[in-house]
Amino acid sequence: MKRTILTTTALATLLAAPATAQDAADVLATYADIAAAGYEDSLITAEALEDAVAELVAAPSAEALTAARAAWLAARVPYQQTEVYRFGNAIVDDWEGRVNAWPLDEGLIDYVDGGYGGPSDENEFAALNVIANVSFTLSGTEIDASMITPALLEETLHEADGIEANVATGYHAIEFLLWGQDLNGHAPGAGNRPWTDFAQGEDCTGGNCDRRAEYLVAATELLVSDLEWMAAQWVEGGDARAAVVADPDAGISAMLTGMGSLSYGEVAGERMRLGVMLNDPEEEHSCFADNTHNDHYLDGLGVQNVYLGEYVRADGTVVSGPSLSDLVAAIDPALDMEMRSRLSETMRELGQIVLAAEAGFAYDQMLERGNEAGEALIMGGVNGFIAQTQTIERIVAALDLGEIAFEGSDSLDNPSAVFE
Amino acid sequence: MRFATFALIAALPSAATAQNHQIAIDAALNSHVLPGVTQLAEASQALALAAEDCTSPALVAAYHEAFDAWVHVSHLRFGPFEADNRAFALAFWPDSRGATPRALTQLIDDRDPVIASDYASVSVAARGYYAMEFLLFDPEISSRGDAIYRCDLVRVMAADIATTTAEMERDWTQTHADLMRMAGSNDRYQSQAEAMRALFNALTTGLEFNADVRLGRPLGTFDRPRPNRAEARRSERSVQNLIVSMQGLAELADALMVGAPDADVRAGLDAVISGLERLEDPTLASVADPQGRFRVEVIQQRINELRQLILTQMGPSLGVSAGFNSLDGD
Repeated sequence: MKRTILTTTALATLLAAPATAQDAADVLATYADIAAAGYEDSLITAEALEDAVAELVAAPSAEALTAARAAWLAARVPYQQTEVYRFGNAIVDDWEGRVNAWPLDEGLIDYVDGGYGGPSDENEFAALNVIANVSFTLSGTEIDASMITPALLEETLHEADGIEANVATGYHAIEFLLWGQDLNGHAPGAGNRPWTDFAQGEDCTGGNCDRRAEYLVAATELLVSDLEWMAAQWVEGGDARAAVVADPDAGISAMLTGMGSLSYGEVAGERMRLGVMLNDPEEEHSCFADNTHNDHYLDGLGVQNVYLGEYVRADGTVVSGPSLSDLVAAIDPALDMEMRSRLSETMRELGQIVLAAEAGFAYDQMLERGNEAGEALIMGGVNGFIAQTQTIERIVAALDLGEIAFEGSDSLDNPSAVFE
Repeated sequence: MRFATFALIAALPSAATAQNHQIAIDAALNSHVLPGVTQLAEASQALALAAEDCTSPALVAAYHEAFDAWVHVSHLRFGPFEADNRAFALAFWPDSRGATPRALTQLIDDRDPVIASDYASVSVAARGYYAMEFLLFDPEISSRGDAIYRCDLVRVMAADIATTTAEMERDWTQTHADLMRMAGSNDRYQSQAEAMRALFNALTTGLEFNADVRLGRPLGTFDRPRPNRAEARRSERSVQNLIVSMQGLAELADALMVGAPDADVRAGLDAVISGLERLEDPTLASVADPQGRFRVEVIQQRINELRQLILTQMGPSLGVSAGFNSLDGD
């Protein structure tokens, strides 16, 4: 009996190994194709946002502000689906803070309500308001902010003083400029910045409308150039694509790392569970625009896209190919079914949050202390993400990818040397 | 078809590995997890009793005992600790946006009647050991507003902690320990390797938390150290928590490698603990001066090296690797 098993093992290994390597290469090609399409869609929709912002600034009106907000919301649809590429791909993770940093101390950027508070123990620039101040001191250096340029935002203001909450660039900085603070607390309603915050001359509200417009233009321009750069990393010949296809095992590991880390630590943990446990509407991922329900849904969809090897583009065309699901099904069909059904369950839970929010039960309301229906909705999504992460771990074990590469250190080469 | 055959065979662990996994799981439960959660529930119950008189000196002593008992097992962030957000309800930290003092200030200023009804519904920032630290030790919050309300708040908070920890103990002793012991015959742990991974992951994540968060947050950067971010500095427990945590992690590591002790790992654990005991800087305030900072950085580095050692040497020899953890986000 034992002999039979051994023989079969050897045979199976011989037959399976080459086929699996080829399969993995095809799966990684699909993974890179979806990234290329997702970042290109993000770029296209960000360019549309840039056009809408240009119109708002050139001829401020309520209609132009509404159009710019609509363009921002549209731009989030493809971008959020790319978040699954963050963890696992160093090139994306190193860059991501420029475009989607969150949460932010928005008082760094513009005026805020009196209840916001001033500088805090954690962040003495929490209420800097660069739009109202043409110069300020940062770490002993006098900063000239008379011109609000992409360079000022990116190089000086972003993460000023080493504080991550000093977010000067990216989607959420732009979101704040388009919507303003959401002062409705746990009641429904998003931020309600008046269009006159961008009006020039006597109609200007909130002060410094010219500088606010300058900031919005600079931040949008930066977003476009950052997305342009990332889209180029994933096309044929791009560095991000090259990195995932170079070693099939490492590439598949990167896919699974991205899926698991986004599901568990980031969305289920930082973004969903924390908000509901703190009952804090400021803990919404898109707290100014009240778009958080869509953020979570699209993050979940991105994970499902990667597993199934299918992405529906912003123009409705479909990118698809050999998938991780195919690879798993080939070695363990039951495990593949488990993953598919857990992903579907998560999407159903996240869909319920979206539908409730669209029907008038705002995400802020769900977070309120004692709101059991809201807590149950959000925790449904959290539990879905947790359950799918367990299955992702099973897949890592089943594919036998080995330990994810660790950085070299003394302890690796000579463990006993460390404690001498 | 050939894939199916391959998978079936690959999935059959060797009898030796299975037996070793069973021994390690049993050891971890018997010598670390179950005594740890029982001690946690008992110390928290004692805290609730002591809090009946909020002016009693015994309250502070009981608080320290209960906090120790929590930190000793705080790395077990799965199953009964994760259910109903219990770990967060006991320990909301780090608090980078000052949610705890804000939530407590609001409760006290409003004399919020929620303390008479359903305290478990309030923000986790106002629950657990870290919130209670503000009430007992923070100069501003411990003297703010109405003394009777504050006293009621301490009492309710302690009772809430006792309830949460009793639920954790109940779930561990009545169900979860058996799920782990009988891994392979239930859906939660589909194999012994999965139960091993959960325990191993708790070990490596605990080390990561100590290095990156407990030490990393106050260290900040050389030019911008952040001593005010040290954990539980108001009760002067910053280093104490590190020591207690490392002792708990050592207990878990010893149990997991009971069948095949790894001398390098053992030496690493001892080196970190004795390094911490020699610090003589209870709040890690010394991170702000170059000399003190260096000593703290050395310990941080040793913890990181120990974690690498566990991942690359102890893990493979046990036939287990780490999974995802809550620090994977940003």
